Amino acid sequence: MDEQKFTDWIDKWLRDELTETERLEFETLRRSDPILDQRARDQQQLARAMRLYGQRTDFRKRLNRIHAELDMEAVRQEAQEASAPAEEPARKGRVRQLWQTYRPILAVAASVAVFTTFGTLMLMRQYQSSHKQQEQYSMLRRDLQAIRRSQNAILQDLNARERALQMNPGQVAGSSFLLSPDGYLVTNTHIVQDADSVYIQSTKGDIYKAKVVYTNKAYDLAILQVRDDSSFRARTALPYGFEAGPSDLGERVFTLGFPRDEVVYGEGYLSSQTGYRGDSTAYQVAISVNPGNSGGPLLDEKGNVIGIISGKQTSTEGATFAIKTDVLFRTISGIPTDSLKGSPIRMSRKNGLAKLPRKEQIKKIQESVFMVKVFKQEK
Amino acid sequence: MRGPKHLHPSDNERNDARRNDARSDDARLLVGLADGSDAVLAELYKRYFPMVLHLILNNSGSEDDAKDIYQEALIVLYEKVSEGSLELHCQLKTYLYSVSRRLWLKQLSKRSRNGSGLIDQENLADVDDDLTDHHARDRQFSLMADSLDRLGEPCRTLLEDFYIRHLSMQDITDKFGYTNTDNAKTQKYKCLMRLKRLFFSVYKEER
Repeated sequence: MDEQKFTDWIDKWLRDELTETERLEFETLRRSDPILDQRARDQQQLARAMRLYGQRTDFRKRLNRIHAELDMEAVRQEAQEASAPAEEPARKGRVRQLWQTYRPILAVAASVAVFTTFGTLMLMRQYQSSHKQQEQYSMLRRDLQAIRRSQNAILQDLNARERALQMNPGQVAGSSFLLSPDGYLVTNTHIVQDADSVYIQSTKGDIYKAKVVYTNKAYDLAILQVRDDSSFRARTALPYGFEAGPSDLGERVFTLGFPRDEVVYGEGYLSSQTGYRGDSTAYQVAISVNPGNSGGPLLDEKGNVIGIISGKQTSTEGATFAIKTDVLFRTISGIPTDSLKGSPIRMSRKNGLAKLPRKEQIKKIQESVFMVKVFKQEK
Repeated sequence: MRGPKHLHPSDNERNDARRNDARSDDARLLVGLADGSDAVLAELYKRYFPMVLHLILNNSGSEDDAKDIYQEALIVLYEKVSEGSLELHCQLKTYLYSVSRRLWLKQLSKRSRNGSGLIDQENLADVDDDLTDHHARDRQFSLMADSLDRLGEPCRTLLEDFYIRHLSMQDITDKFGYTNTDNAKTQKYKCLMRLKRLFFSVYKEER
């Protein structure tokens, strides 16, 4: 459906003008497409903000009109005699008198106390921080220089594409996974930034050339697309769905990623609704990850994608951060249509994994998870 | 939120009767306010303005300050009432007084870092939550005002007609002289997309 028509539908929905059948169709559409859903919610918020704006402007006008008609002399007179609301008669006892008399002295004493307290606290903090290792948010990309040797070992491989990679080993690696069956992927911006070229490698070892379609540095999200690579076969559907709603604490989660050349499975639980330093766009997850896991999917028990692994806190054990999916939707809906070259990203909430045992789930999911290899100019 | 009423069940009957009167009167004012009645609003305005004027004048403010603070307090009340989320645990008078007092304190601390207390009575209601809400709405309001200003004409009037004054697409087509409603719809769509970009580019960053 084209965007303008959908916008019209949202307007009708907001004004409650949809017919029963239209309403049902509208709701089904929203359920099946998280991006449209996000758009509907944004528009609802926008309309609400406009209504508030109109309401308040109008109310202010009415207030000013009334104020202009006031007889200010009478009001002043009344204000002289006015008292504060007294549901009980006000008492002005001895304590109050003392308070009024000694207030300046008390104020000085209190400010000295406050000053001393905070001064001490600050000194303590400074002392501690100079002696403590700084806590750090580390991005989980992997530097491939270190393992160049192991790559040289497979020089016998005569595959031309492989050989090209051999001559110029990638410098950074991470993980990514498919957003839609036709070759859109998501990964982290910190993996693909300053890239000259980006390749993705499937769990079977096939390598495809990918293009960075869009990056959002604030959310650390990047959208890739496999383009002009005839050997990539589009899938009919993805095994997992995308869950837009918030997940609960304690939810069992798992991830697949590429801390080594082989895909690696990790399991844990959701430990906080916010990420590094209270970042509300991310979850904290207790799961063990390593450099290279960045960009991998975070899935719940049923196999719904609920986040994208992005980093961890080095000073704390088991604090990994994952960007929430609603941020992903927001990012995708913010991509200018011309960068997608007319083929929109079709994401689905349908999920075929819910009833399968974990081993089967992993088998299906790993076909949609890719290692990202990034090549850039030596600096 | 404690009304003194619950603290002193042994209060004498005359006081109780007086309070009940005040309460039913408050209810009448609130209903009128929600209905948008000008007469009720004027009555409400006149009744409590002297109280707030007294408060502000006694705490180093001017008449204009009193007007601004009182109107803002009424806006807090009005928006809570029209949202249907007002929970009044005290007399309306106490509520307006407490809100005005807090708003004025904030204003004072903005003007000077001298955080001295106010000279006033201590009979106050807990309005923290209401003011937090108000602050959020305030931000949304000024952001929208700013976005609409930057949007320019005719987009601004078109969107206001549709979303605030709730005109139909047909009315808008006639008013703006478009050849048919489809043209008007396209125009509205373009305007809305621009407004969306303006509004959310700031709104989302701040969240």
